[in-house]
Amino acid sequence: MAVDNIVYLIPALPVLAFVLTLAFGKKLPSGGGYIPILAIAISCIISILAFLQIYKTGTPIEVSAPWFSVLNVGILIDPLASVMLLMVTFVSLLIHIYAIGYMAHDPAKPRYFAETALFTAAMLGVVLSDNILQLFISWELVGLCSYLLIGFWFRKPTAAAAGKKAFLTTRVGDVLFLAGIVILYSNMVEHVLPHITGNETVYLLQFSTIFENIHHIPSGQLTIITLLFFGGAVGKSGQFPLHVWLPDAMEGPTTVSALIHAATMVTAGVYLVARTFPMFIASPGVELAGITIPATLTVVAYIGGFTALFASTMGLVMNDIKRVLAFSTISQLGYMMLALGMGSVIGAAAVGFAMFHLINHAFFKACLFLCAGSVIHSTGTNDLREMGGLMSKMKITGITMLFASLALAGIGIPFLKIAGTPIGTSGFVSKDAIIVEGTYVFAHMTNDWIPFAFGILAALLTAIYTFRLWFMAFTGKPRQERHPHESPATMTGVLSVLAAFALVFGMLTFVPFLDFVGHTYDHHEIEHLAGLGGNHIIDHHELHHIITEETSPIIFLLPVIVGVGGLLLAWVIYNRRWINVASIGNMKNPLFVILAKRYYQHEIFIELISLKFTYGVLALTSEFSDRKIVDGIINGISSFFIGGAEVLKKIQTGVVQNYATATVLGVGLLALILSFRGVI
Amino acid sequence: MNYIELASQFAPELILTIGALAIMMIGLFLATSQKKVLGYLATIFLAVASLVIVSRGIYDLQMDGILADSLTIDPMSQFFKLTFLLVSLIVVIASIREYDGHSNQDEYYTLILLGTIGMMVVASAIDIVTMFIGFELASLSTYALAGFNKKDPNSMEAAVKYFIIGALSSTLLLFGLSYIYGMSGGLTNISELAVFFNANPAVLQSPMGIVALMLIVAGFGFKMALVPFHMWAPDTYQGAPTVISALLAAGSKKMAFVAAFRILLIAMIAIKIDIAMVFMILAIITMTLGNVVALSQRSLKRMLAYSSVAQAGYISMVFVVMSPEALTGGILYVMSHAFMKTGAFIAVAALGYMLLKENSNAKDVDHLDNFAGLGKRSPFLAFSIMIFLFALAGIPPTAGFVSKFILFYSVLKGGFLLLVIFAILNSALSLYYYARVVKYMYVLPPSSDEKLKVPGAYALAILLAIIGVLAIGIVPEPFVNWAASAANVLGL
Repeated sequence: MAVDNIVYLIPALPVLAFVLTLAFGKKLPSGGGYIPILAIAISCIISILAFLQIYKTGTPIEVSAPWFSVLNVGILIDPLASVMLLMVTFVSLLIHIYAIGYMAHDPAKPRYFAETALFTAAMLGVVLSDNILQLFISWELVGLCSYLLIGFWFRKPTAAAAGKKAFLTTRVGDVLFLAGIVILYSNMVEHVLPHITGNETVYLLQFSTIFENIHHIPSGQLTIITLLFFGGAVGKSGQFPLHVWLPDAMEGPTTVSALIHAATMVTAGVYLVARTFPMFIASPGVELAGITIPATLTVVAYIGGFTALFASTMGLVMNDIKRVLAFSTISQLGYMMLALGMGSVIGAAAVGFAMFHLINHAFFKACLFLCAGSVIHSTGTNDLREMGGLMSKMKITGITMLFASLALAGIGIPFLKIAGTPIGTSGFVSKDAIIVEGTYVFAHMTNDWIPFAFGILAALLTAIYTFRLWFMAFTGKPRQERHPHESPATMTGVLSVLAAFALVFGMLTFVPFLDFVGHTYDHHEIEHLAGLGGNHIIDHHELHHIITEETSPIIFLLPVIVGVGGLLLAWVIYNRRWINVASIGNMKNPLFVILAKRYYQHEIFIELISLKFTYGVLALTSEFSDRKIVDGIINGISSFFIGGAEVLKKIQTGVVQNYATATVLGVGLLALILSFRGVI
Repeated sequence: MNYIELASQFAPELILTIGALAIMMIGLFLATSQKKVLGYLATIFLAVASLVIVSRGIYDLQMDGILADSLTIDPMSQFFKLTFLLVSLIVVIASIREYDGHSNQDEYYTLILLGTIGMMVVASAIDIVTMFIGFELASLSTYALAGFNKKDPNSMEAAVKYFIIGALSSTLLLFGLSYIYGMSGGLTNISELAVFFNANPAVLQSPMGIVALMLIVAGFGFKMALVPFHMWAPDTYQGAPTVISALLAAGSKKMAFVAAFRILLIAMIAIKIDIAMVFMILAIITMTLGNVVALSQRSLKRMLAYSSVAQAGYISMVFVVMSPEALTGGILYVMSHAFMKTGAFIAVAALGYMLLKENSNAKDVDHLDNFAGLGKRSPFLAFSIMIFLFALAGIPPTAGFVSKFILFYSVLKGGFLLLVIFAILNSALSLYYYARVVKYMYVLPPSSDEKLKVPGAYALAILLAIIGVLAIGIVPEPFVNWAASAANVLGL
């Protein structure tokens, strides 16, 4: 089949574009920006072909070649990878096109386009890998590129610092992830290799090998491995407590923010958990209200849900338009993790929900970021307080951003379903699925309502901060004398496409998407794996039964109520101004202070942990011991030897008679030693 | 065996003999200015001889004794012969520029070729008398070569010291061999000796046997420059013409190793415990003293001399472990060391040549200070010196790393933990003085901004050595296999 033979081009073309743009970009128009656009466009087309083939035949594309020993390099495109591929290539393509206009005045365009091409390639590498090691290598490359791109304007100290912060924070996760791979590998060697018979070549870190042999791995080890993997995901996907790098990642060009927040990087963590989902579901269980659910997935759920709520509270008080969106990204990623965590009860369907939200989020978040970019591009400021009344000047940006905001806030029509598809923005469709079919069913089965509460509260706050942003920027009177103008067509064109996707993509694809991605993992296989850890998951029919028979209408209404409620609240406060913001949002209100100070994270993470403890205690102690003790020993040794050299040098008298004496003496002494060997 | 067959077996030696005689004859009819041609001739003869060895390979060799069981052609002899030939080749190429315009070039190249023949005879010898004759042929040629700069008192001093200690050591060696001859009742063939001593180990274990062993060890130890028989080496390596130091350190020193492999590990294997004990002591003091004294040297040639002493200490661990793996490592080390040491000496010679050309009154051209800022003055030379020094220190991906790894690992496998710890600590110590040169070249500012142009002949010689160092370092497989089959010959 033709597609199998060219799938390697999907990551290879952007890599080639990286090399070409870096080498020749200076001599080409637009800094060589058309090279990555062309490359990614072709990658996108191949991804579509691959998708169509899988969709039709139902069998994944697998290409693999030996690397060395028990490791391989290879490509696996199953439904999960396929939808990610489509999203990454498509969104990245749009962002590249947009960047032609956005970066038009930047002298370092070749470097920009080269790095974004490599960034895209690395992300495609993460998605396509058929083994965990190759995934990790690409994963690290994503980290490197994010460092380069966030610090793109490296002469700006805040940008350089933000790049460093992103790199170091995600590194914490990367180290955990690597530790997980190492433990997994040693388990595979110890427990799986002996079971492999015959001459067939087996690649130990290939996903298919791992999944087929999960039952050989001791369950305690599985818990450790999956927790470490999740640690990696927490770092990359900005989950609590490693989310601190994400808001600062705004220091790069807005297009980079869009690329990081929508298409690449942050989704890598979610993808990792989805990719290794069978390992999570097979990890040993904890008992909750009479049913046993996988322990690590429960951790995923709680961390995700907490992050969703936690980040959205901070989004309420940010005044930097990009920071609001950054916190919203963290919060939405929390939803995806929450959705994956719900897999502890609903099984592989959770992967579908998480991925569906991931894709929808990619569209509306890319749209929001690029709208923000458009606003910044024309007003020259990031500060919401300095904007206002932009609607009249920037119609397309305003309307597209409104659509994307409706999607983010999850506005839709409850109860109404046409052919099984709910009616609403894409954010509504996917978030509703997570809250109702995920957290509610979870609560129904386990009597644990906390994830549900996380989901609902975060949804309320999301609606408030989203429309706070929109009302502050686009309505009311201009608060400063500026001359905003609509952005060029390359930018608004992209915005319109993305806004359209934000509105209707969810509705158009709801049923086929969940069905398609839901088939990434075989349901019986997942059930069997869950059984290994003593876990019980409910199947499709049970799920359907709970949703239709045992759910009160208020549950269905709640997400929309909070969404619309939040919208109205924002309207009342920020548009109508019936409530004076200053009366709540001032430094006398302790709640506001905590939010504005972002829960004192800076003080805790940077000043206390990083500066006081790591630097002040660990680094300075190490430095002291290094300088005084280690160096002292080293210097002692070296002066001993150099002093010794000066002494021994004197043996060499330069008098040849002495040399002859030494020779004869040497013979004599050795003969003596040997003769008295028995005596000694 | 008829003469044609014999000639084909010893084609490389014959080619060199013809070459040596031809160069001497032709030299008589050439004016001094034309004698450069002799260098090219010597290069061609050495290159052809090397090609003959390479083309014959190591399989299907006639391994029986030839010429009344005095010589053999086996993988071991071929490996060492190729090493000697390549060292001489590199030295000769470098000499073409070094001695351009010198009136005694005919003698010079003849002596190098004769010395090489001597080394090759030792590599092939399986008879102690033949071996001694080869030994002397190589020694006498190199005595003369060490004093080749006869107007330079240092060179003369180097030659005289080398000769006196050499003569003493030859005496000791011959004395020791005569004991063997006597004790065995008139045997000279190494395998016959082995059979006899294995049947009568008591003979060798007697005090007389011990003394014979010590005398032989001293005789070889002199060439190998093992402490305490090494004392001539620093003076000679420093005083002799630098290219000849390369020949001594990389060529004639290795000749002693192949001879010792055959005599000690085949003929005298009956007293292996004594041999192991002697070399345990010698190896430890040799590597330690060599490295420690090298720390304080400011003359590069002297530093390389001491480093060469230390490296001999590493290689002599083979006599302690006596396993096929250790022998493989040792043999590979010989070839690796030949490339890196020749390269280092030639590079130092090239710098000396350029500095003397700049200022003919310059003294101590190999002093460390002259290397300051070399990275800016001659990037090629500085970079190649760095490669050679890193190879000597045993840093990948160089030959030094591969051979050190195999050798040290075999020592560890042989159960000599303490010895290998000594060796590794010594390696770490040695990095200090190697890295110091690199620091001088790349960190310190140059004394003058003038660029130095490395003459083509030197550059070619250095390049050949670099290829050798990197080839073994990057594609070790074929070299290791060859060394392993050479090691198999001894049947340990």
